[in-house]
Amino acid sequence: MTPVIEVEDLVKQYKKTKTPAVDGVSFTVQEGEFFAFLGQNGAGKTTTISILTTTLAKTSGTVRIAGFDIDRQAREVREAIGLIFQRPSLDRTMTAEQNIRFHAAMYGLYPYRPSFRLMPADYRDRVTRLADIVGIGDGLFKAVAKLSGGMARKLEIVRSLVHTPRVLFLDEPTQGMDALARRNLWDYIDSMRRELGTTVFLTTHYIDEAEGTDTVCLIDRGRIALCCPPAEMKATMGAATLDDAYVAYLRSRPGLDATTLGEVLVESGVRR
Amino acid sequence: MSALTPTTALLAEPARRPTWWRELNAVVAVTARDVTLALRTPGMIALSLLMPIVMMGLIGGNLMENMAGGLPFDFGQFMLVGMIVNMLVMTTTMSMTSLIDDSDSDFSSEMLVAPVSRYAIVVGKILGSSFTALITAVGVIAVGLVMGLTLSLHAALGLLALAPLMCLSGGALAVIVMGSIKSKKAANLVVMLITMPQMFLSGVIIPIGSSTGVLFVLSRILPMTYCVDLARAVVTAGTPEYDSVVLFNPAISLLAIAGLTVVCLVIGTWLYARSERER
Repeated sequence: MTPVIEVEDLVKQYKKTKTPAVDGVSFTVQEGEFFAFLGQNGAGKTTTISILTTTLAKTSGTVRIAGFDIDRQAREVREAIGLIFQRPSLDRTMTAEQNIRFHAAMYGLYPYRPSFRLMPADYRDRVTRLADIVGIGDGLFKAVAKLSGGMARKLEIVRSLVHTPRVLFLDEPTQGMDALARRNLWDYIDSMRRELGTTVFLTTHYIDEAEGTDTVCLIDRGRIALCCPPAEMKATMGAATLDDAYVAYLRSRPGLDATTLGEVLVESGVRR
Repeated sequence: MSALTPTTALLAEPARRPTWWRELNAVVAVTARDVTLALRTPGMIALSLLMPIVMMGLIGGNLMENMAGGLPFDFGQFMLVGMIVNMLVMTTTMSMTSLIDDSDSDFSSEMLVAPVSRYAIVVGKILGSSFTALITAVGVIAVGLVMGLTLSLHAALGLLALAPLMCLSGGALAVIVMGSIKSKKAANLVVMLITMPQMFLSGVIIPIGSSTGVLFVLSRILPMTYCVDLARAVVTAGTPEYDSVVLFNPAISLLAIAGLTVVCLVIGTWLYARSERER
Protein backbone atom coordinates (compact mmCIF):
# COMPACT_ATOMS: atom_id res chain seq x y z
CA MET A 1 0.00 0.00 0.00
CA THR A 2 1.20 3.52 -0.82
CA PRO A 3 0.71 6.33 1.66
CA VAL A 4 -1.35 9.12 0.10
CA ILE A 5 -1.58 11.40 3.15
CA GLU A 6 1.51 11.72 5.33
CA VAL A 7 1.33 14.05 8.32
CA GLU A 8 4.25 14.41 10.68
CA ASP A 9 4.33 16.47 13.85
CA LEU A 10 1.82 18.99 12.52
CA VAL A 11 1.36 22.11 14.64
CA LYS A 12 -0.97 25.04 14.06
CA GLN A 13 -1.13 27.97 16.41
CA TYR A 14 -3.51 30.72 15.35
CA LYS A 15 -2.46 34.32 15.80
CA LYS A 16 -3.30 35.83 19.20
CA THR A 17 -3.95 32.45 20.83
CA LYS A 18 -2.07 30.90 23.73
CA THR A 19 -2.41 27.21 22.88
CA PRO A 20 -2.05 25.45 19.53
CA ALA A 21 -5.25 24.30 17.80
CA VAL A 22 -3.30 21.33 16.43
CA ASP A 23 -0.44 20.15 18.59
CA GLY A 24 2.03 17.68 17.10
CA VAL A 25 -0.37 15.53 15.09
CA SER A 26 1.08 12.64 13.05
CA PHE A 27 -0.73 10.02 10.98
CA THR A 28 -0.65 8.29 7.61
CA VAL A 29 -3.50 7.39 5.28
CA GLN A 30 -2.97 4.73 2.62
CA GLU A 31 -4.15 4.95 -0.98
CA GLY A 32 -7.81 3.95 -1.24
CA GLU A 33 -8.33 4.04 2.52
CA PHE A 34 -11.51 5.38 4.14
CA PHE A 35 -10.22 7.43 7.05
CA ALA A 36 -12.31 9.23 9.67
CA PHE A 37 -11.26 12.03 11.96
CA LEU A 38 -13.53 12.33 14.98
CA GLY A 39 -13.59 14.81 17.79
CA GLN A 40 -15.72 17.42 19.46
CA ASN A 41 -16.02 21.03 18.27
CA GLY A 42 -12.71 22.84 18.56
CA ALA A 43 -10.72 19.60 18.77
CA GLY A 44 -8.70 20.52 15.68
CA LYS A 45 -10.49 18.56 12.92
CA THR A 46 -11.26 21.45 10.60
CA THR A 47 -7.90 23.10 11.26
CA THR A 48 -6.17 19.88 10.22
CA ILE A 49 -8.31 19.43 7.12
CA SER A 50 -7.76 23.10 6.15
CA ILE A 51 -3.98 22.63 6.33
CA LEU A 52 -4.12 19.37 4.39
CA THR A 53 -6.12 21.04 1.63
CA THR A 54 -3.73 24.04 1.39
CA THR A 55 -6.30 26.62 2.52
CA LEU A 56 -4.54 27.32 5.82
CA ALA A 57 -0.83 27.74 6.56
CA LYS A 58 0.66 25.45 9.20
CA THR A 59 2.95 26.61 11.98
CA SER A 60 5.31 23.63 11.72
CA GLY A 61 5.51 20.00 10.71
CA THR A 62 5.45 18.27 7.34
CA VAL A 63 2.49 17.24 5.22
CA ARG A 64 2.56 15.35 1.94
CA ILE A 65 -0.55 14.64 -0.10
CA ALA A 66 -0.32 12.17 -2.99
CA GLY A 67 3.44 12.46 -2.67
CA PHE A 68 3.47 16.27 -2.94
CA ASP A 69 4.61 18.68 -0.26
CA ILE A 70 1.73 21.04 0.63
CA ASP A 71 4.00 24.10 0.79
CA ARG A 72 6.31 23.60 -2.15
CA GLN A 73 3.88 21.74 -4.45
CA ALA A 74 0.54 23.26 -3.48
CA ARG A 75 -0.77 23.24 -7.04
CA GLU A 76 -0.10 19.51 -7.47
CA VAL A 77 -1.79 18.88 -4.11
CA ARG A 78 -4.87 20.86 -5.21
CA GLU A 79 -4.89 18.90 -8.43
CA ALA A 80 -5.13 15.65 -6.49
CA ILE A 81 -7.83 16.59 -3.99
CA GLY A 82 -11.51 17.36 -3.75
CA LEU A 83 -13.05 19.08 -0.77
CA ILE A 84 -16.41 19.67 0.81
CA PHE A 85 -15.98 22.55 3.23
CA GLN A 86 -17.60 22.60 6.62
CA ARG A 87 -18.70 26.20 6.15
CA PRO A 88 -20.72 26.86 2.98
CA SER A 89 -18.52 28.34 0.27
CA LEU A 90 -21.14 28.99 -2.38
CA ASP A 91 -21.87 32.19 -4.26
CA ARG A 92 -25.41 32.81 -3.04
CA THR A 93 -26.25 35.22 -5.85
CA MET A 94 -25.51 32.69 -8.59
CA THR A 95 -27.69 29.71 -9.43
CA ALA A 96 -26.76 26.24 -8.24
CA GLU A 97 -25.68 25.28 -11.75
CA GLN A 98 -23.58 28.43 -12.16
CA ASN A 99 -21.71 27.49 -8.99
CA ILE A 100 -21.01 24.03 -10.41
CA ARG A 101 -20.00 25.47 -13.81
CA PHE A 102 -17.60 27.85 -12.11
CA HIS A 103 -16.02 24.95 -10.20
CA ALA A 104 -15.74 22.79 -13.33
CA ALA A 105 -14.00 25.64 -15.17
CA MET A 106 -11.62 26.32 -12.27
CA TYR A 107 -10.58 22.65 -12.33
CA GLY A 108 -10.07 22.82 -16.10
CA LEU A 109 -12.62 20.10 -16.78
CA TYR A 110 -14.74 21.97 -19.31
CA PRO A 111 -14.38 25.24 -21.22
CA TYR A 112 -16.32 28.00 -19.47
CA ARG A 113 -19.33 29.15 -21.46
CA PRO A 114 -21.88 31.78 -20.46
CA SER A 115 -24.88 29.46 -20.15
CA PHE A 116 -25.70 25.86 -19.24
CA ARG A 117 -27.10 25.20 -22.71
CA LEU A 118 -23.82 26.26 -24.31
CA MET A 119 -21.77 23.93 -22.11
CA PRO A 120 -20.59 20.59 -23.61
CA ALA A 121 -23.15 17.77 -23.57
CA ASP A 122 -20.89 15.71 -21.30
CA TYR A 123 -20.98 18.47 -18.67
CA ARG A 124 -24.75 18.83 -18.89
CA ASP A 125 -25.24 15.10 -18.51
CA ARG A 126 -22.78 14.79 -15.63
CA VAL A 127 -24.26 17.68 -13.66
CA THR A 128 -27.84 16.52 -14.21
CA ARG A 129 -27.07 12.98 -13.06
CA LEU A 130 -25.03 14.05 -10.05
CA ALA A 131 -27.79 16.45 -9.07
CA ASP A 132 -30.30 13.60 -9.25
CA ILE A 133 -28.10 11.36 -7.10
CA VAL A 134 -28.12 13.77 -4.18
CA GLY A 135 -31.64 15.00 -4.92
CA ILE A 136 -31.05 18.54 -6.03
CA GLY A 137 -32.29 18.21 -9.62
CA ASP A 138 -35.26 20.52 -9.02
CA GLY A 139 -33.14 23.31 -7.60
CA LEU A 140 -30.35 23.26 -10.16
CA PHE A 141 -31.37 26.52 -11.82
CA LYS A 142 -32.47 28.39 -8.71
CA ALA A 143 -30.34 31.04 -7.01
CA VAL A 144 -28.48 29.53 -4.06
CA ALA A 145 -30.03 32.19 -1.81
CA LYS A 146 -33.42 30.60 -2.50
CA LEU A 147 -32.31 27.07 -1.62
CA SER A 148 -32.80 25.55 1.83
CA GLY A 149 -29.73 24.84 3.95
CA GLY A 150 -29.95 21.12 3.15
CA MET A 151 -30.24 21.76 -0.59
CA ALA A 152 -27.26 24.10 -0.49
CA ARG A 153 -25.26 21.36 1.25
CA LYS A 154 -26.21 18.91 -1.47
CA LEU A 155 -25.11 21.44 -4.06
CA GLU A 156 -21.69 21.63 -2.44
CA ILE A 157 -21.45 17.88 -2.67
CA VAL A 158 -22.36 17.82 -6.36
CA ARG A 159 -19.81 20.57 -6.96
CA SER A 160 -17.02 18.64 -5.26
CA LEU A 161 -17.82 15.48 -7.21
CA VAL A 162 -17.79 17.11 -10.65
CA HIS A 163 -14.12 16.30 -10.79
CA THR A 164 -12.79 12.95 -9.62
CA PRO A 165 -10.09 13.54 -7.03
CA ARG A 166 -7.53 11.01 -5.81
CA VAL A 167 -8.20 12.14 -2.25
CA LEU A 168 -11.62 13.40 -1.21
CA PHE A 169 -11.77 15.50 1.96
CA LEU A 170 -15.22 15.65 3.50
CA ASP A 171 -15.56 18.08 6.39
CA GLU A 172 -18.94 17.33 7.99
CA PRO A 173 -20.40 16.53 4.55
CA THR A 174 -23.90 15.42 5.54
CA GLN A 175 -24.71 18.15 8.05
CA GLY A 176 -28.32 19.23 7.46
CA MET A 177 -29.05 16.49 4.91
CA ASP A 178 -32.05 14.16 5.01
CA ALA A 179 -31.59 10.40 5.49
CA LEU A 180 -32.20 9.45 1.84
CA ALA A 181 -29.75 12.01 0.50
CA ARG A 182 -27.18 10.86 3.06
CA ARG A 183 -27.60 7.25 1.96
CA ASN A 184 -27.34 8.18 -1.73
CA LEU A 185 -24.22 10.20 -1.09
CA TRP A 186 -22.51 7.36 0.75
CA ASP A 187 -23.51 4.92 -1.99
CA TYR A 188 -21.92 7.22 -4.54
CA ILE A 189 -18.74 7.66 -2.50
CA ASP A 190 -18.53 3.88 -1.97
CA SER A 191 -18.72 3.47 -5.76
CA MET A 192 -15.93 6.00 -6.20
CA ARG A 193 -13.77 4.15 -3.71
CA ARG A 194 -14.52 0.75 -5.20
CA GLU A 195 -14.16 1.66 -8.86
CA LEU A 196 -11.53 4.39 -8.77
CA GLY A 197 -9.68 3.68 -5.53
CA THR A 198 -10.43 7.16 -4.18
CA THR A 199 -9.06 7.87 -0.72
CA VAL A 200 -11.66 9.45 1.57
CA PHE A 201 -10.78 11.61 4.56
CA LEU A 202 -13.88 12.28 6.64
CA THR A 203 -14.71 14.41 9.62
CA THR A 204 -18.22 13.97 10.91
CA HIS A 205 -20.54 14.52 13.81
CA TYR A 206 -22.56 11.45 12.82
CA ILE A 207 -20.37 8.82 14.47
CA ASP A 208 -22.33 6.01 12.77
CA GLU A 209 -21.03 7.27 9.40
CA ALA A 210 -17.53 6.32 10.56
CA GLU A 211 -18.51 2.68 11.26
CA GLY A 212 -17.61 1.63 7.73
CA THR A 213 -14.24 3.32 7.69
CA ASP A 214 -10.89 1.56 7.61
CA THR A 215 -9.33 3.76 10.27
CA VAL A 216 -10.74 6.09 12.88
CA CYS A 217 -8.66 8.76 14.59
CA LEU A 218 -9.94 10.50 17.69
CA ILE A 219 -8.53 14.00 18.00
CA ASP A 220 -8.84 15.71 21.34
CA ARG A 221 -7.63 19.22 22.17
CA GLY A 222 -5.33 19.24 19.14
CA ARG A 223 -3.76 15.84 19.80
CA ILE A 224 -4.47 12.38 18.47
CA ALA A 225 -5.93 10.32 21.30
CA LEU A 226 -6.59 7.05 19.46
CA CYS A 227 -5.98 5.95 15.89
CA CYS A 228 -6.96 2.44 14.76
CA PRO A 229 -9.60 0.44 12.83
CA PRO A 230 -13.14 0.87 14.25
CA ALA A 231 -13.25 -2.78 15.42
CA GLU A 232 -10.05 -2.30 17.38
CA MET A 233 -11.33 0.93 18.88
CA LYS A 234 -14.53 -0.74 19.96
CA ALA A 235 -12.56 -3.63 21.47
CA THR A 236 -10.17 -1.27 23.24
CA MET A 237 -13.02 0.71 24.75
CA GLY A 238 -15.16 -2.41 25.40
CA ALA A 239 -18.02 -1.00 23.31
CA ALA A 240 -20.50 -2.53 20.86
CA THR A 241 -20.65 0.46 18.53
CA LEU A 242 -18.39 3.32 17.57
CA ASP A 243 -20.86 5.69 19.26
CA ASP A 244 -20.38 3.75 22.50
CA ALA A 245 -16.62 3.66 22.05
CA TYR A 246 -16.58 7.42 21.58
CA VAL A 247 -18.70 7.93 24.71
CA ALA A 248 -16.47 5.54 26.65
CA TYR A 249 -13.42 7.52 25.56
CA LEU A 250 -15.00 10.83 26.59
CA ARG A 251 -16.00 9.37 29.98
CA SER A 252 -12.46 8.18 30.55
CA ARG A 253 -11.10 11.66 29.96
CA PRO A 254 -9.86 13.29 33.17
CA GLY A 255 -11.67 16.44 34.25
CA LEU A 256 -14.89 15.78 32.32
CA ASP A 257 -17.94 15.98 34.59
CA ALA A 258 -21.37 14.58 33.68
CA THR A 259 -22.82 17.95 32.59
CA THR A 260 -19.91 18.72 30.32
CA LEU A 261 -20.02 15.18 28.95
CA GLY A 262 -23.71 15.66 28.11
CA GLU A 263 -22.93 18.87 26.22
CA VAL A 264 -20.04 17.22 24.41
CA LEU A 265 -22.21 14.29 23.35
CA VAL A 266 -24.91 16.60 22.00
CA GLU A 267 -22.47 18.74 20.04
CA SER A 268 -20.72 15.61 18.77
CA GLY A 269 -23.97 14.22 17.48
CA VAL A 270 -23.80 11.08 19.62
CA ARG A 271 -26.76 12.21 21.72
CA ARG A 272 -29.44 14.08 19.77
CA MET B 1 -34.62 10.49 -8.07
CA SER B 2 -32.75 8.39 -10.61
CA ALA B 3 -29.38 6.80 -11.30
CA LEU B 4 -28.56 6.01 -7.70
CA THR B 5 -25.76 3.73 -8.82
CA PRO B 6 -23.25 5.79 -10.77
CA THR B 7 -21.55 4.29 -13.78
CA THR B 8 -17.83 4.33 -14.26
CA ALA B 9 -18.38 6.85 -17.06
CA LEU B 10 -19.94 9.25 -14.56
CA LEU B 11 -17.23 8.62 -12.01
CA ALA B 12 -14.41 9.09 -14.49
CA GLU B 13 -13.18 12.61 -14.97
CA PRO B 14 -12.95 14.33 -18.39
CA ALA B 15 -9.45 14.42 -19.86
CA ARG B 16 -7.21 17.05 -18.25
CA ARG B 17 -6.15 19.92 -20.50
CA PRO B 18 -2.81 21.76 -20.79
CA THR B 19 -1.89 24.14 -17.98
CA TRP B 20 -2.02 27.29 -20.12
CA TRP B 21 -5.55 26.42 -21.26
CA ARG B 22 -6.68 25.83 -17.70
CA GLU B 23 -5.21 29.11 -16.49
CA LEU B 24 -6.98 30.97 -19.27
CA ASN B 25 -10.25 29.11 -18.61
CA ALA B 26 -10.00 30.05 -14.92
CA VAL B 27 -9.46 33.73 -15.81
CA VAL B 28 -12.55 33.59 -18.06
CA ALA B 29 -14.64 31.90 -15.34
CA VAL B 30 -13.66 34.40 -12.64
CA THR B 31 -14.23 37.32 -15.01
CA ALA B 32 -17.60 35.97 -16.15
CA ARG B 33 -18.73 35.54 -12.54
CA ASP B 34 -18.02 39.19 -11.74
CA VAL B 35 -19.72 40.35 -14.93
CA THR B 36 -22.77 38.21 -14.07
CA LEU B 37 -22.86 39.66 -10.56
CA ALA B 38 -22.62 43.21 -11.92
CA LEU B 39 -25.47 42.58 -14.36
CA ARG B 40 -27.58 41.18 -11.52
CA THR B 41 -27.02 44.34 -9.46
CA PRO B 42 -28.91 47.13 -11.22
CA GLY B 43 -27.83 49.58 -8.50
CA MET B 44 -24.21 49.02 -9.48
CA ILE B 45 -24.93 49.74 -13.15
CA ALA B 46 -26.95 52.84 -12.19
CA LEU B 47 -24.07 54.07 -10.04
CA SER B 48 -21.66 53.43 -12.90
CA LEU B 49 -23.74 55.73 -15.08
CA LEU B 50 -24.22 58.32 -12.34
CA MET B 51 -20.50 58.65 -11.65
CA PRO B 52 -19.69 60.22 -15.05
CA ILE B 53 -22.44 62.80 -14.55
CA VAL B 54 -20.91 63.84 -11.23
CA MET B 55 -17.26 63.61 -12.28
CA MET B 56 -17.46 64.86 -15.84
CA GLY B 57 -20.66 66.89 -15.80
CA LEU B 58 -20.36 68.67 -12.46
CA ILE B 59 -16.65 68.75 -11.60
CA GLY B 60 -15.46 68.85 -15.22
CA GLY B 61 -18.11 71.34 -16.32
CA ASN B 62 -17.27 73.67 -13.46
CA LEU B 63 -13.55 73.52 -14.23
CA MET B 64 -14.17 74.17 -17.92
CA GLU B 65 -16.22 77.27 -17.19
CA ASN B 66 -13.85 78.74 -14.60
CA MET B 67 -10.32 77.53 -15.34
CA ALA B 68 -10.04 76.82 -19.04
CA GLY B 69 -9.03 80.30 -20.20
CA GLY B 70 -5.52 81.13 -21.47
CA LEU B 71 -4.32 77.56 -21.88
CA PRO B 72 -2.28 76.54 -24.97
CA PHE B 73 -4.54 73.50 -25.52
CA ASP B 74 -8.19 72.54 -25.60
CA PHE B 75 -8.97 72.06 -21.89
CA GLY B 76 -12.26 70.31 -22.63
CA GLN B 77 -10.59 67.51 -24.54
CA PHE B 78 -7.70 67.43 -22.04
CA MET B 79 -10.19 66.75 -19.27
CA LEU B 80 -12.35 64.36 -21.29
CA VAL B 81 -9.40 62.04 -21.94
CA GLY B 82 -8.24 62.36 -18.32
CA MET B 83 -11.71 61.54 -17.01
CA ILE B 84 -12.10 58.50 -19.26
CA VAL B 85 -8.83 57.08 -17.92
CA ASN B 86 -9.71 58.12 -14.38
CA MET B 87 -13.03 56.29 -14.58
CA LEU B 88 -11.40 53.15 -15.97
CA VAL B 89 -8.72 53.05 -13.27
CA MET B 90 -10.79 54.35 -10.36
CA THR B 91 -13.84 52.15 -10.94
CA THR B 92 -11.70 49.04 -11.36
CA THR B 93 -9.86 49.88 -8.14
CA MET B 94 -13.12 50.39 -6.25
CA SER B 95 -14.75 47.24 -7.64
CA MET B 96 -11.84 45.15 -6.42
CA THR B 97 -13.25 45.37 -2.88
CA SER B 98 -15.35 42.38 -4.00
CA LEU B 99 -12.29 40.32 -3.04
CA ILE B 100 -13.16 41.10 0.58
CA ASP B 101 -16.81 40.14 -0.05
CA ASP B 102 -15.59 36.80 -1.40
CA SER B 103 -13.48 36.30 1.67
CA ASP B 104 -16.34 37.21 4.01
CA SER B 105 -18.71 34.77 2.28
CA ASP B 106 -16.01 32.03 2.19
CA PHE B 107 -16.27 31.89 -1.60
CA SER B 108 -12.58 32.74 -1.78
CA SER B 109 -11.89 29.27 -0.30
CA GLU B 110 -13.60 27.72 -3.32
CA MET B 111 -11.38 29.77 -5.65
CA LEU B 112 -8.16 29.28 -3.72
CA VAL B 113 -8.46 25.51 -3.40
CA ALA B 114 -8.67 25.21 -7.19
CA PRO B 115 -5.53 23.99 -8.98
CA VAL B 116 -4.85 27.26 -10.78
CA SER B 117 -2.29 29.96 -10.09
CA ARG B 118 -3.27 32.78 -7.78
CA TYR B 119 -2.51 35.14 -10.67
CA ALA B 120 -5.31 33.61 -12.74
CA ILE B 121 -7.74 34.37 -9.90
CA VAL B 122 -6.50 37.93 -9.38
CA VAL B 123 -6.35 38.77 -13.09
CA GLY B 124 -9.86 37.33 -13.52
CA LYS B 125 -11.11 39.51 -10.66
CA ILE B 126 -9.50 42.60 -12.20
CA LEU B 127 -10.96 41.92 -15.64
CA GLY B 128 -14.37 41.27 -14.07
CA SER B 129 -14.11 44.55 -12.17
CA SER B 130 -13.23 46.26 -15.46
CA PHE B 131 -16.73 45.60 -16.75
CA THR B 132 -18.31 48.33 -14.64
CA ALA B 133 -15.27 50.50 -15.36
CA LEU B 134 -15.97 50.27 -19.09
CA ILE B 135 -19.59 51.30 -18.48
CA THR B 136 -18.45 54.40 -16.58
CA ALA B 137 -15.95 55.23 -19.34
CA VAL B 138 -18.72 55.02 -21.94
CA GLY B 139 -20.79 57.21 -19.61
CA VAL B 140 -18.01 59.84 -19.59
CA ILE B 141 -17.96 59.87 -23.39
CA ALA B 142 -21.75 60.27 -23.43
CA VAL B 143 -21.65 63.16 -20.92
CA GLY B 144 -18.79 64.67 -22.94
CA LEU B 145 -20.98 64.57 -26.05
CA VAL B 146 -23.72 66.44 -24.20
CA MET B 147 -21.11 69.03 -23.21
CA GLY B 148 -19.97 69.33 -26.83
CA LEU B 149 -16.74 67.35 -26.35
CA THR B 150 -16.06 64.68 -28.95
CA LEU B 151 -13.42 62.10 -29.76
CA SER B 152 -12.40 61.01 -33.25
CA LEU B 153 -13.10 57.38 -34.15
CA HIS B 154 -9.36 56.75 -34.28
CA ALA B 155 -8.92 58.20 -30.79
CA ALA B 156 -11.87 56.25 -29.38
CA LEU B 157 -10.58 52.97 -30.81
CA GLY B 158 -7.10 53.72 -29.48
CA LEU B 159 -8.50 54.31 -25.98
CA LEU B 160 -10.60 51.16 -26.21
CA ALA B 161 -7.49 49.15 -27.10
CA LEU B 162 -5.63 50.59 -24.10
CA ALA B 163 -8.55 50.17 -21.68
CA PRO B 164 -7.69 46.59 -20.51
CA LEU B 165 -4.13 47.63 -19.65
CA MET B 166 -5.36 50.68 -17.74
CA CYS B 167 -7.91 48.63 -15.81
CA LEU B 168 -5.22 46.06 -15.05
CA SER B 169 -2.95 48.77 -13.63
CA GLY B 170 -5.71 50.10 -11.35
CA GLY B 171 -6.77 46.63 -10.29
CA ALA B 172 -3.20 45.55 -9.56
CA LEU B 173 -2.76 48.52 -7.23
CA ALA B 174 -6.04 47.61 -5.53
CA VAL B 175 -4.95 44.00 -4.91
CA ILE B 176 -2.16 45.32 -2.68
CA VAL B 177 -4.80 47.05 -0.55
CA MET B 178 -7.13 44.03 -0.53
CA GLY B 179 -4.25 41.75 0.41
CA SER B 180 -3.34 43.95 3.36
CA ILE B 181 -6.79 44.80 4.76
CA LYS B 182 -9.54 42.40 5.80
CA SER B 183 -12.28 44.89 6.66
CA LYS B 184 -14.41 46.17 3.82
CA LYS B 185 -14.99 49.51 5.55
CA ALA B 186 -11.27 50.08 5.96
CA ALA B 187 -10.59 48.93 2.39
CA ASN B 188 -13.19 51.35 1.00
CA LEU B 189 -11.56 54.16 2.93
CA VAL B 190 -8.06 53.30 1.73
CA VAL B 191 -9.26 52.95 -1.86
CA MET B 192 -10.81 56.41 -1.58
CA LEU B 193 -7.56 57.75 -0.12
CA ILE B 194 -5.71 56.38 -3.15
CA THR B 195 -8.12 57.21 -5.94
CA MET B 196 -9.02 60.79 -5.03
CA PRO B 197 -5.49 62.24 -4.70
CA GLN B 198 -4.46 60.15 -7.72
CA MET B 199 -6.94 62.13 -9.81
CA PHE B 200 -5.03 65.33 -9.08
CA LEU B 201 -1.51 63.89 -8.92
CA SER B 202 -1.79 62.04 -12.25
CA GLY B 203 -2.86 65.00 -14.34
CA VAL B 204 -6.43 63.86 -14.93
CA ILE B 205 -7.89 67.36 -14.70
CA ILE B 206 -4.89 69.54 -13.87
CA PRO B 207 -1.64 69.60 -15.86
CA ILE B 208 1.27 68.25 -13.78
CA GLY B 209 4.17 69.39 -15.97
CA SER B 210 5.29 71.92 -13.34
CA SER B 211 4.99 69.65 -10.26
CA THR B 212 8.04 69.63 -7.98
CA GLY B 213 9.26 67.91 -4.81
CA VAL B 214 6.97 65.37 -3.18
CA LEU B 215 4.19 66.00 -5.68
CA PHE B 216 6.62 65.31 -8.53
CA VAL B 217 7.78 62.02 -6.95
CA LEU B 218 4.23 60.89 -6.19
CA SER B 219 3.06 61.66 -9.70
CA ARG B 220 5.90 59.60 -11.19
CA ILE B 221 5.25 56.46 -9.13
CA LEU B 222 1.52 56.31 -9.85
CA PRO B 223 0.62 54.05 -12.78
CA MET B 224 -2.31 56.34 -13.64
CA THR B 225 0.07 59.20 -14.53
CA TYR B 226 1.41 57.11 -17.40
CA CYS B 227 -2.05 55.85 -18.34
CA VAL B 228 -3.35 59.40 -18.68
CA ASP B 229 -0.28 60.54 -20.60
CA LEU B 230 -0.39 57.58 -22.97
CA ALA B 231 -4.10 58.18 -23.62
CA ARG B 232 -3.43 61.84 -24.42
CA ALA B 233 -0.58 60.80 -26.72
CA VAL B 234 -2.97 58.54 -28.63
CA VAL B 235 -5.71 61.16 -28.84
CA THR B 236 -3.50 64.12 -29.84
CA ALA B 237 -1.03 62.21 -32.05
CA GLY B 238 -0.20 64.29 -35.11
CA THR B 239 -1.82 67.48 -33.80
CA PRO B 240 -0.13 70.73 -32.69
CA GLU B 241 -1.47 70.15 -29.16
CA TYR B 242 0.62 67.01 -28.67
CA ASP B 243 3.66 68.80 -27.20
CA SER B 244 1.50 70.85 -24.82
CA VAL B 245 -0.35 67.92 -23.22
CA VAL B 246 1.97 64.90 -23.49
CA LEU B 247 4.82 64.59 -20.97
CA PHE B 248 6.50 61.30 -21.87
CA ASN B 249 7.39 59.30 -24.94
CA PRO B 250 4.47 56.85 -25.41
CA ALA B 251 6.90 53.92 -25.36
CA ILE B 252 8.15 55.04 -21.95
CA SER B 253 4.57 55.39 -20.70
CA LEU B 254 3.72 51.92 -21.97
CA LEU B 255 6.79 50.43 -20.31
CA ALA B 256 6.10 52.29 -17.06
CA ILE B 257 2.46 51.08 -16.97
CA ALA B 258 3.52 47.51 -17.72
CA GLY B 259 6.36 47.60 -15.19
CA LEU B 260 4.36 49.17 -12.37
CA THR B 261 1.41 46.87 -13.07
CA VAL B 262 3.58 43.75 -12.93
CA VAL B 263 5.22 44.92 -9.68
CA CYS B 264 1.83 45.71 -8.09
CA LEU B 265 0.37 42.43 -9.37
CA VAL B 266 3.21 40.32 -7.95
CA ILE B 267 3.19 42.07 -4.56
CA GLY B 268 -0.62 42.23 -4.39
CA THR B 269 -1.16 38.59 -5.36
CA TRP B 270 1.41 37.45 -2.81
CA LEU B 271 -0.26 39.55 -0.09
CA TYR B 272 -3.73 38.32 -1.08
CA ALA B 273 -2.77 34.63 -1.09
CA ARG B 274 -0.94 35.05 2.20
CA SER B 275 -3.82 36.89 3.86
CA GLU B 276 -6.18 34.04 2.99
CA ARG B 277 -3.86 31.32 4.33
CA GLU B 278 -2.27 33.01 7.33
CA ARG B 279 -4.63 33.20 10.25
